[in-house]
Amino acid sequence: MDVGRFIQYIASGTAYTVSVTLIALPLGLFLGLIFSLLYVYGGKVLTRIMSIYSTVMRGIPPIVLLFILYFMVSGNINLSPFWAGSISLGIVSSAYQMEIIRGALLSVSGAQMMAARAIGMSRMRAIKHIIIPQAFRMAICPWSNEAAIVIKDSSLVYALGVPEILRRAQLISASTQQPFLAFIVAGLIYFMLVFVTNRLLDGLDKRMRIPANP
Amino acid sequence: MKFRIVLALAIVLGVLLAGCQQAGEGSVLDKIQAANKVVVGTSADYPPYEYIDETGKMVGFDIELMEEIAKRMDVALDWQDMPFDSLIAAVQEGKIDMSISCFNYSEERDQLVDFSDPYYTSQDAFIVTDGFSGTFTVPEDAANFKVGVQSGTVQDEWLTAELVDAGLMSEANLSRYERVDQAALDLQVGRIDILMSDDVPAQAIVSQYDGLKIIYQGMLYTGPINIVLPDGAADLQAEVNRIIADLEAEGFIDALAVKYFSE
Repeated sequence: MDVGRFIQYIASGTAYTVSVTLIALPLGLFLGLIFSLLYVYGGKVLTRIMSIYSTVMRGIPPIVLLFILYFMVSGNINLSPFWAGSISLGIVSSAYQMEIIRGALLSVSGAQMMAARAIGMSRMRAIKHIIIPQAFRMAICPWSNEAAIVIKDSSLVYALGVPEILRRAQLISASTQQPFLAFIVAGLIYFMLVFVTNRLLDGLDKRMRIPANP
Repeated sequence: MKFRIVLALAIVLGVLLAGCQQAGEGSVLDKIQAANKVVVGTSADYPPYEYIDETGKMVGFDIELMEEIAKRMDVALDWQDMPFDSLIAAVQEGKIDMSISCFNYSEERDQLVDFSDPYYTSQDAFIVTDGFSGTFTVPEDAANFKVGVQSGTVQDEWLTAELVDAGLMSEANLSRYERVDQAALDLQVGRIDILMSDDVPAQAIVSQYDGLKIIYQGMLYTGPINIVLPDGAADLQAEVNRIIADLEAEGFIDALAVKYFSE
């Protein structure tokens, strides 16, 4: 097999890797935001439930959750490997993103809430217009870390049969006996994806930074 | 606090288990015919049974055989590649309609899924490096060396049951690999002394990797290879068996074996 073809074959798995990430990350962000708000502002019971969710989800390796979702839960709802993989990665990520956002929410000084309430805002409005916009800025840096992890974890969906970069590299390695080349190509593609993502988020972080917080 | 976590876990587990009790109803053959397509799983990393060519297309003995079977069932064929270890579970859970991936019959597997009639008979092989100087006259001699095997294969079952569980070999000396090509590389660099695999891929390995040779061939747990079918899918089994019998009678399978195994 000539090298050009072989790189092309592995590289064409990038579409799957990117699609899985583009589903898992926003899903995790959406769930993570809701869960973190429930955690911080939800009262005693919700806080406890969210805390258990976080502990359990972060305590299970993503691959185990992937298998549980694909082989057990999706017995009657027939999820394709692609969707089962993307959704379970999103669920795993939601627990980490919840902790990132929770940290950011708590880092906004309590005086901000008091000030907002003092000028007549409701609690909900204060959270929406005062706390969240500031928290989000502070969450960008740790969040870019999570984005890199989800990109790399997307390689796990190979176990369900999604032909993404890693699985393609394995097949090439099996048929050409050139594992080094195959995995170097896969590694470089993952690196480029993570590098570009982190650069973009760094740029966003610089642009959004609150001038008073260096 | 601790009690509540346990309770929460128990509820989650209960829901999951309840979910997995409900298998699909209706015959698999009817489902295949209604959808006009059969979804077949394979692990395309096992030349010459199943692998990919320069264009990224799946080829091999099993692949071509299955294409012919699907043609005769008059349905489209939808390939689903996944790691070998995931295939049986995927058939069990109805994720794929059947699987062709050089499966040998074994009692353990038979409890989970059904098998077609055999379409080919293989044997086991032990591969070593050219410089191997140990004593190896009977398969059980493998117990004295570091052995590699692809996990979930019948060779893995043989090593585990006959050597490790029988107390002849320490578990630490058995390395289970996800794919056989990984094991071949480890054999080449000396991380393992012996690689046990099906004979046909073993032939491919010694011809493609320098400095390796087959030291022993014989039937241990391997033998007839079959298509894996969902448990209890009698009509599908009958249909597949009928086609396999036809293909054998017509010499189609022998021709394929010549093409891929150059026998």
